[in-house]
Amino acid sequence: MAPVVSVEALRKRYRRRDPWAVDGVTFALEPGQAFGLLGPNGSGKTSVVKMIAGLLRPDGGEISLFGSKPGDPSARARLGFSPEDPDFPKFLRAREVLDYFASLLGLDEDDRKRRIPETLAFAGLDQERREVRQFSKGMKQRLGIAQAILGRPKLLILDEPTADLDPLGRRDVRALIESLKASGVAILLNSHLLSEVELVCDTVAILAKGHVLKEGTMAEVVPEGRTLEDVFVELVEASSPKRDQLPSFISEKEQQ
Amino acid sequence: MNGTLAVARYTLLELSRRRILLVFYVVGAVGIVLLGGFLKIANTLATRGPAQSVNGATQLDPAQVNRLLEAVFVSYLLGALGIFALLIAFAIGMTTIYHDLESGTAVSLFSKPISRLAYTIGKIFAAVVALVLVVGVLGIEARLAMLLFGGGLEGALTAEVLAVVANAVVVMLIVLALSTWVNNIIAAVVAFIYYNVVATLVVTIRNLIHQGVIDNTNLRAVFDVLYWVVPHQLTSSASGDIARTEIQVSGGGSTNSATLALIPPGSGAGDILWWAFVVVVFASLAYIAVRRKQV
Repeated sequence: MAPVVSVEALRKRYRRRDPWAVDGVTFALEPGQAFGLLGPNGSGKTSVVKMIAGLLRPDGGEISLFGSKPGDPSARARLGFSPEDPDFPKFLRAREVLDYFASLLGLDEDDRKRRIPETLAFAGLDQERREVRQFSKGMKQRLGIAQAILGRPKLLILDEPTADLDPLGRRDVRALIESLKASGVAILLNSHLLSEVELVCDTVAILAKGHVLKEGTMAEVVPEGRTLEDVFVELVEASSPKRDQLPSFISEKEQQ
Repeated sequence: MNGTLAVARYTLLELSRRRILLVFYVVGAVGIVLLGGFLKIANTLATRGPAQSVNGATQLDPAQVNRLLEAVFVSYLLGALGIFALLIAFAIGMTTIYHDLESGTAVSLFSKPISRLAYTIGKIFAAVVALVLVVGVLGIEARLAMLLFGGGLEGALTAEVLAVVANAVVVMLIVLALSTWVNNIIAAVVAFIYYNVVATLVVTIRNLIHQGVIDNTNLRAVFDVLYWVVPHQLTSSASGDIARTEIQVSGGGSTNSATLALIPPGSGAGDILWWAFVVVVFASLAYIAVRRKQV
């Protein structure tokens, strides 16, 4: 089966003097597969998914998105991307944002009439009449996921999709991922919530400082009797100098 | 094409909800009505009394007073329209693309199947339409206010409104293009200095040289070149028309004729072509910046 996205020896740095933010990342994702991209803050996860979505230019390596370059709008028509910390035109309402994005996706009138109310209902924003500028972070996150699934993507990229969601929202996102996987949609999930990743992902890659430390199926990466969190902490700590646990002043007793 | 139209449509919707534009529009609209109303009342009061005089020399009949007040009204109006058009141009230019790029909006938008060219065209189209609409409505209102006088300067107003809109489009595009490269406040300041200070200074000095006020061959050569380097404001014949009306009403002589000669003529075809070129240059700069932008 042809991969929906393949990434080979991907490299990126933001300034010439900076270290590589992404350095030699390689993976491929097939239809119906859920791939978890894990790593500590600043490990390069968001850079990788932004390059796949055509938002950042790689400095090296190759990306094939549905057999095309990510810059090709026709390839992006089959991509749904829910960014970390999403934002939208702030004077529009949720329904208008979805209608705007539906127009960009080329959805016809019938599709819009059906999909927009259903998507808003899924996101819990169907009764919302305020403009986006008045939304909480969680509401924006819900709208971010809503716009990502509106075009019925073949590849759904979720960058920290549950970071600002309440437990009910998290449960909904898990159910969404399971349902999309079952219908053959490939999922690329960036998340710090390792227990969540363990639940929904078939394969994972653990990144640190732009490098892939370990990659494979969940069974290959997480040995019997251990959790993904154990493996993650062990790998990441081994790749970086050990940090002091707490600032010393925290444990100091106050002088009377 | 659909993507461009969607961007334009929703950008217009957003702009229509921005309070700052509404405030500028309302202040402009109310100002025009107040100015027209005030001068009309002044006209009514003036023509009720004995014959009027200007500078204690010429007796004016009510029709002359009416024409003089209309000239004053149009003169103030054109100044006010120019200022409001400039403010609106800055407000639109500073936000139309900048807010998308600086917030996470561009991330969501550019991951959709729309080219950056289509996005930029849609944004610029919406910005120009919004500007033309707001300034155009103010112009129409000004034209209606002129019905209070009915003195024959309508043509001057129409031509000047077109020139004001054209100039505002250039300012807006400069701010919009710069705001894709730098912070929008810096963009506005740089655009103001470039267009309203440097360019205006160059045009004014060149006019003075061509009118013989400054007589220096070297300066003439330098400013003839600079004139075609900076974007210069389009002008209509309105200033001359107003001045002529005022002189006619007050029965001006040779001194006034000399004054009239100092008023620059309206822009020619070359200036209009240069305006179009400047518009294309700054729209292209905005596109290049949007295309290069990594979000």
